[in-house]
Amino acid sequence: MLAVCCQSAEELKSEQYFVEGYQLYTTNCSNCHQVDGKGMLNLYPPISGSQTLSDKALLACIIKNGMRDTILVNGRKFSRPMPPNAKLSDIEVAEIVTYVTVKWGKDSIYTKIEAVRSSLANCKKY
Amino acid sequence: MKLNTLLFNILYLTLLALGILNCNNSDNKLPILGERDWTKKTVDGKEVVDTIYNTIPSFSFVDQNGDTISEAFVKDKIYVTDFFFTTCPTICPVMKRQMIKVYHAYEGNPELKILSHSIDPEHDTPKVLKQYATDLGIQGNQWLFLTGQKEKIYEIGQKSYMVTAKKEQSAEGGYIHSGAFILVDKERHVRGMYDGTTEEGTQKLIADIQTLLSEYKK
Repeated sequence: MLAVCCQSAEELKSEQYFVEGYQLYTTNCSNCHQVDGKGMLNLYPPISGSQTLSDKALLACIIKNGMRDTILVNGRKFSRPMPPNAKLSDIEVAEIVTYVTVKWGKDSIYTKIEAVRSSLANCKKY
Repeated sequence: MKLNTLLFNILYLTLLALGILNCNNSDNKLPILGERDWTKKTVDGKEVVDTIYNTIPSFSFVDQNGDTISEAFVKDKIYVTDFFFTTCPTICPVMKRQMIKVYHAYEGNPELKILSHSIDPEHDTPKVLKQYATDLGIQGNQWLFLTGQKEKIYEIGQKSYMVTAKKEQSAEGGYIHSGAFILVDKERHVRGMYDGTTEEGTQKLIADIQTLLSEYKK
């Protein structure tokens, strides 16, 4: 906040997305995946440590459309369906993707709306 | 000014009354909740008034192991109950996370049971509930997940446990329901209702279970 004057536009936007993403994550995701991203026992998979964090296109699709599949996360099997979040807008999906990939993945810059938009147009049907 | 004084007096008297009630409750007993009724009866030639408290009626549901569970299961036990469904994306995961704390606080205590009713029994078959319990790390029969006839579950929820539970298309997951944890004593009276979505509610329940259990240690 103090450093606003000296940040690049990109850094500023990354911070905005991160903060917005945090709010959206808290509202839409943390009930199951928990605030710390570690999931809940064998009911809901962790996000932190998940390989999906490196596949942003898939991430956007899961956030928006939910999923119905058996997946292996950090060596544990999960098969409970995740409900879709159809009401999330493209920018909101981008903000959540930004939050989780910066927080628990290796990203440091935000995920652009355009990227999310094209990912969402190409989601695989389940 | 006068009004202020009056209000102050009313407040003061109210607090005093509450205080006295608390003092009279030297055993620190939990209240009996719900609607009550009175009947008159004759004892030793004298007419006395008898209070009829809200009592959980007989029930018959099926648990995650496929066993039929009735009120006989909680005979001489106190229990905590709630309403949920396994595909609920909103408050249920939070409630279950909190209920796990209650479970671990009294794990293995033969006097305490937990009954979680599914309000989506068509989907939540015993098999689905078994998987859910396993994924929560719950074994044995201290914490049972119940399914059964939908009308019966809704009826006992609304009439006896005093919670909301109904189908609602507009709600996420398709149902609205209360996030309450309900504490029931050995006489099947409701003795406490707690917000199962908060840490405060959960801690209050954990403390009240102890209070209730000690009523029976005479």
